[in-house]
Amino acid sequence: MNIGQSLKMATKSIFSNVGRSILTMLGVIIGLAAVIILVSYAQGQNIAMQAYYDSMGTNTINVSAYTWRSGTDITQMLYDYCLGLDGVAGVTPNGQVNVTISYESKTLSNNDWNTMTTVYLGSDQYGKCNDFTIAKGRELSYLDCKRLNKVCVLGSATADELFSFADPIGKTITLNGTPFLVVGVYQSKAAGLNTGTGDDGQWIKDEIKRKDRMVLIPYTMTRYFNNNESISDYVVRAKTKDDIKDVMANLRSYLSTIISQDSGWSDVSAPSDWQDSQNEATAMQQRFLGGIAAISLLVGGIGIMNIMLVTVTERTREIGIRKAIGAERRSIIIQFLIEAAMICGIGGIFGIIVGYIGTLIVCKLSFGAIMFPSVGITFGAAAISIILGIIFGMYPAIKASGLQPVVALRAE
Amino acid sequence: MLIEIKDIYKIYNEGKESEVRALNGVSLSIGRGEFVAIIGASGSGKSTLMNILGCLDIPTYGDYSLDGQDVTDRTDRQLAHIRNKEIGFIFQGYNLIPALTAYENVELPLIYQGVSILKRRDIVMEALEKVGMADRWKHKPAEMSGGQQQRVAIARAIATHPPIIMADEPTGALDSKTGKHVLEILHELNDEGATIILITHDNSIAATAKRIVRISDGCIVADGSREEVGL
Repeated sequence: MNIGQSLKMATKSIFSNVGRSILTMLGVIIGLAAVIILVSYAQGQNIAMQAYYDSMGTNTINVSAYTWRSGTDITQMLYDYCLGLDGVAGVTPNGQVNVTISYESKTLSNNDWNTMTTVYLGSDQYGKCNDFTIAKGRELSYLDCKRLNKVCVLGSATADELFSFADPIGKTITLNGTPFLVVGVYQSKAAGLNTGTGDDGQWIKDEIKRKDRMVLIPYTMTRYFNNNESISDYVVRAKTKDDIKDVMANLRSYLSTIISQDSGWSDVSAPSDWQDSQNEATAMQQRFLGGIAAISLLVGGIGIMNIMLVTVTERTREIGIRKAIGAERRSIIIQFLIEAAMICGIGGIFGIIVGYIGTLIVCKLSFGAIMFPSVGITFGAAAISIILGIIFGMYPAIKASGLQPVVALRAE
Repeated sequence: MLIEIKDIYKIYNEGKESEVRALNGVSLSIGRGEFVAIIGASGSGKSTLMNILGCLDIPTYGDYSLDGQDVTDRTDRQLAHIRNKEIGFIFQGYNLIPALTAYENVELPLIYQGVSILKRRDIVMEALEKVGMADRWKHKPAEMSGGQQQRVAIARAIATHPPIIMADEPTGALDSKTGKHVLEILHELNDEGATIILITHDNSIAATAKRIVRISDGCIVADGSREEVGL
């Protein structure tokens, strides 16, 4: 008997027992769909988290430095030192002042955490260090800081809120009544960010949006608004991830030379440390989801095995009949192999379809964005469930085809 | 001789306390074209004998030659070919595959023989016509009466035109009228040259055979014509 005949025989057998075929397929479908949905969910979550990290500025290093010895201008020294370092892309003070922001008759309220606008003190490199890009106008300049120019750059949300759709450049806003000229507007960080509308995605998006509610003024303005208190927080941005370690080491040793232990303090840290631990947590969650997915695949496999075992006596008798009328062991095994492969293959295709539809729904609900699992994972999972199906599908054939026909015929 | 067995034993659980000797040294020769009825009470070993004659089972000891060929130590594959080409089986319980139609059931042995699909169609329909089931070719076993199923089973047995037809209680599950019809078909086949081996416990059916073999407790106790065996 040739393969063509075996193929026809297998097809005939599948369609002549639709109920059993569907039940077998169901095991493959459920197992496979579960794996695809869970893996996609984990991947989607990962991508959303990465977007959040990226919005915080990548490769940044936080520096705190303070001295009470007068005559030491740490800000200027740090600025000069950093610009001389190889791996540094930018440096800025990172202070905040608590002031009332107004434009004409409009005053921004600071009561609600979600709509609060923060006024930052920064250098000409503030945007570079915090991943802001100028949309209109210009950045603060070095001279703005040197000369204590009363100028500011607005975050996109703040610009919209104060000026609606009018062009803010050249207009004057007041901070605690002091007029500041708007010289630039930053691009929105939240715009175009694909984290979706789901719960997790929305939270991340809100977090990122909050960063657009800001006003940047030259750091030297700390003298006006903070009773001349000097700035102690800085952000240094390394050129690449690999530079972070060296830059941090250099900063530590430099700070220890300019600030003696009895005259102040300093600290150098990188959010990437924190990000690493977050990634670790995410990876753990992924392993957990992967475990659940593996279990559902196993359960699917057991489902296949069960239905095959249930039909084993029926099939044993059938095999006995086939042997009695002249089927070789080989042709019986080939027929069952093809049959199992076809059932599981069809089940696999449906499983992938159901899995992708499920992914569409789950990701839409939680992230908005759709993250399909990689082709490798899809086909890997499909291969596993199909192999399981084939092994268990062939089980009765392997067992019964080795029997004497009379023994197989006796199966009731 | 077409079939020749010598000192055949079939022993279950040999050497144990529960040892059962289903066949206890049976020797038998059957020539081409004979119509042999093997009779005996239930448990006498007649079905075991047929299973061994039909290569459905292997004897514990003994020699078996079929058409001059020794089949005692044949491989599983060779036995499958013998069953396919040399022997047609008719069982008491019909043993049709429930999921397949009458046509497909009759077609099976031809598929295993490698007959092309075009030739198969003629052979299958011819076999079904012979048993009067050609108009039911589309029906599945569950849609047919017992007699009809048995006729389809006969069609399957004769589709490959085997020289030997073995029937194990072929009328056992049928009413007497249908049983008689089935028996007529067997005689017809015998008239056409087929060797028929019929297993039965029904003396009236056995009495239609030219030769009767009586078996009891795994041994042949009588062999000959109706008169010689004493029916």
